[in-house]
Amino acid sequence: MRGMLLAAGIGVAFALAALPKDSPVAADFRDIAAQAGLRRAVPNGGDKSKKFIIETTGSGVAFLDYNNDGLPDIFVVSGDGGLSRLYRNDGHGTFTDVTEAMGITRMGWGEGVCAGDFDNDGFTDLFVTYWGQNVLYRNVGGKRFEDVTAKAGLTQSRRRYNTGCAFLDYDRDGKLDLFVSNYLDFDPAETPKPGANPYCWYRNMPVNCGPRGLPFESNLLYHNEGGGKFRDVSQSSGVGEPRQSYCLGVLTADFNDDGWPDIFVACDQTPSLLFMNRKNGTFSEEGLDRGVALDENGKALSGMGATAADYDGDGRLDIFRTNFSDERETLYRNRGGGEFDETTEAAGLARNTSFVGWGCVFFDYDNDGWPDLFLVNGHVFPEVDRLHIDIHYKDRPILYHNLANGKFEDVSLRAGPGLLERHSSRGAAAADIDNDGLLELLVNNQNEAPTLLKNAARSEGHWITLALTGVKSNRSAIGAKVRVTAGGRTQVDEVRSGGSYLSQNDLRLHFGLGAAQRVDRIDIDWPAGGRQTLRNVAADRVLAIQEAISE
Amino acid sequence: MRAIKHLAALALFAGVIWAQSPSEPPRLVEGLQKFHAGDLRGAETSFRAVLAAADNVTARAFLALSLAGTGRCEEAVPELRAQASNAPDAEVRRLTGLALLDCDTRAGRFAEAFRDAGSLKSMNPADADTLYETARLYNRAWNETLRELFERAPASFRVNQLSAEIFESQANYTAAITEYRKAIAKSPATIGMHYRLGRAILMQSHAPEAMTEARREFDAELQLNTSDAAAEYEVAEILIAQQHPEEAAARLEKAIQSDPEFPEALIALARLRSTAGRNGEAIPLLERAVKLAPRSQSARMSLMLAYRKAGRLEDAKAQKEALEKLVAPPGGEFSDFLKRLGEKNP
Repeated sequence: MRGMLLAAGIGVAFALAALPKDSPVAADFRDIAAQAGLRRAVPNGGDKSKKFIIETTGSGVAFLDYNNDGLPDIFVVSGDGGLSRLYRNDGHGTFTDVTEAMGITRMGWGEGVCAGDFDNDGFTDLFVTYWGQNVLYRNVGGKRFEDVTAKAGLTQSRRRYNTGCAFLDYDRDGKLDLFVSNYLDFDPAETPKPGANPYCWYRNMPVNCGPRGLPFESNLLYHNEGGGKFRDVSQSSGVGEPRQSYCLGVLTADFNDDGWPDIFVACDQTPSLLFMNRKNGTFSEEGLDRGVALDENGKALSGMGATAADYDGDGRLDIFRTNFSDERETLYRNRGGGEFDETTEAAGLARNTSFVGWGCVFFDYDNDGWPDLFLVNGHVFPEVDRLHIDIHYKDRPILYHNLANGKFEDVSLRAGPGLLERHSSRGAAAADIDNDGLLELLVNNQNEAPTLLKNAARSEGHWITLALTGVKSNRSAIGAKVRVTAGGRTQVDEVRSGGSYLSQNDLRLHFGLGAAQRVDRIDIDWPAGGRQTLRNVAADRVLAIQEAISE
Repeated sequence: MRAIKHLAALALFAGVIWAQSPSEPPRLVEGLQKFHAGDLRGAETSFRAVLAAADNVTARAFLALSLAGTGRCEEAVPELRAQASNAPDAEVRRLTGLALLDCDTRAGRFAEAFRDAGSLKSMNPADADTLYETARLYNRAWNETLRELFERAPASFRVNQLSAEIFESQANYTAAITEYRKAIAKSPATIGMHYRLGRAILMQSHAPEAMTEARREFDAELQLNTSDAAAEYEVAEILIAQQHPEEAAARLEKAIQSDPEFPEALIALARLRSTAGRNGEAIPLLERAVKLAPRSQSARMSLMLAYRKAGRLEDAKAQKEALEKLVAPPGGEFSDFLKRLGEKNP
């Protein structure tokens, strides 16, 4: 049948790009990276062609407040040929490169980054993944970082292609454990060269091979034993079982609202994974059953990054995943109990299919109380530019405005000049770098300086940012579920390590409040089990909340 | 003229026969030795000597193979044809059949060649040589017919249509669209052309205008053939993308009415029902789709989720197991094969 034969291409062909409309957009994003001091290009493989897949996947970015001054600092992961850079936020819209001074020394093929206070000493630590040995940088009083990888028991016995990572307290013992996704088993000496086999071609051009055709690798889970030590529990937890998936972005959240953190992993050309926490130190992989492994056509897409938010205001965390060109992004709506329906098309997202998407962040740029969506793009094959088609190695990001009715509107082309610049971007993260109530966006661009997007538009919406500190729970409060009720609506989010594409958002939670000038109540479910409620809180400020252990 | 391509295999096989036939006439063994060594002319002399003394089925077969291998197909064909059907040994039937197929293909006797291929395939359904030679036959016949079309009817819209289809297969959609338009201009009432043009437009561009442009072509197709389920389906997909689910559902119902065995339309309609909160109506549609297309990942996935949503966990599990088999990546053998390919520098 004709329909049967041709149906495979239907989804990819439909695309409605961003169309300028007349409705106002409270977004005017400008790239302030250069004036802020982020001028150093980040090396990441070839720019005209790439011989190996390792050149295509790096790298992530992080916002973290390493010196506890209330201002998010910046960490930019580098590919081979450069140091990952740490920039201190000076508080005047500028950053100072403190990489060497702070003891960031590791070079190599850096991939991802995640942050969390693994030793509960009150200072946020950093974990950086590599093709090769990962690094755990312990934050020593905000004064320097110490490479404690070996001391912590995180030395790997062989060279692995580590990608995404996240700290999480999966057993709720008050200490942060660590999940690390792995892409594939990569050895340049064993990997075919461009054009060598059918998996090394793209649109009739020889390109770097993979991931298809390359061997799978397993994911890792490390349990925090205390005393600065981790123990590899990948096998006993079920996380490390061999799976036929090429894993990249990691997203943790309590998807089924049972109080225990689960793990979603975006996987490339293979089913994405959802590890559900069985509350006994083990996980069961249920991505297919719960509807997030494949798209609605039963196809495994090229999952890269993932982010979570309650986009439709029903109190449950939904999942958004970026994919390859000629695929659409995927939005999975949580219909309760951690069961998902794909709602990409119904939400108006199935419209940008010429992009290869990577970092993605739900964030409320206009403080209207509804999470909007930002994603960055850039093809894996620089060679694609030789084709002179509408798919590019360097491409612009996309901004979707949440219309508060379960749908999004693509406002990319009228949201400021910063969103029109083309880069081959990978990691992306959000933070309010100047605590003015509007979130900034940080993007890692291959072989270019990072992008730092600041929204120059003023928003009428009020806001609140919550900086949580655990006491019985882990100090970073990672896994704390927060419900903010204001103006008749309740929003939900969680403190999260990792996420996006191999990146780290500010650990503080930002909520847009719309017209509400006060927050009626803030309910916090701490990972250690306690619930804390604050009432009648003034808006438009950063509020520090420490876990009340008496409650 | 080149020697037949199976010479190496034949030579090896001749060696086997030679080794196993010490009681055969000395000139036959000598011929087989020469054949095995690739000396086909010398082998021919030996086989002719054997046959001058007495009839010998092996000598006849290998004489014919030697003749074919040295470019004298016409002389070889009668014996090859006889041996390919009647040789007592299955391997001799296969080898003479392959040589016969090669001779008929090269002579442009496509009707005979298709019969040769059919016969070979029925006897050796999984034989790589047979499948390879059959593929070459189809390729040769395709090229020959194309040449005839372009030479004998160069102004026909079919030339443009065929050009468009070739461009489409090469993912050159811009050129394909141009050729489809030329074909339609020459023959506006030909069924199927607007449909193909609409598809090419959608494949060519990710721009929003493409959808409107393609819709025009699908509508034009439906004017020519009001019961074209595939065109109806395409219109429905566009309507879904444009956020008009109710109109889309109506078009899908029409597509299914025109073609009740259209799995994609059943799946798309089921999804719309499910999204509208009518999961109970989605399930029978999806069950039909799975029955029609049991290897459709889309059907299996949608049915699995619909069952799960309805609380039918055992039914969902069965669909999941079927789906897992479908989405499993290529096994180790294929990956190893690719790796071996990769060992050769491009």
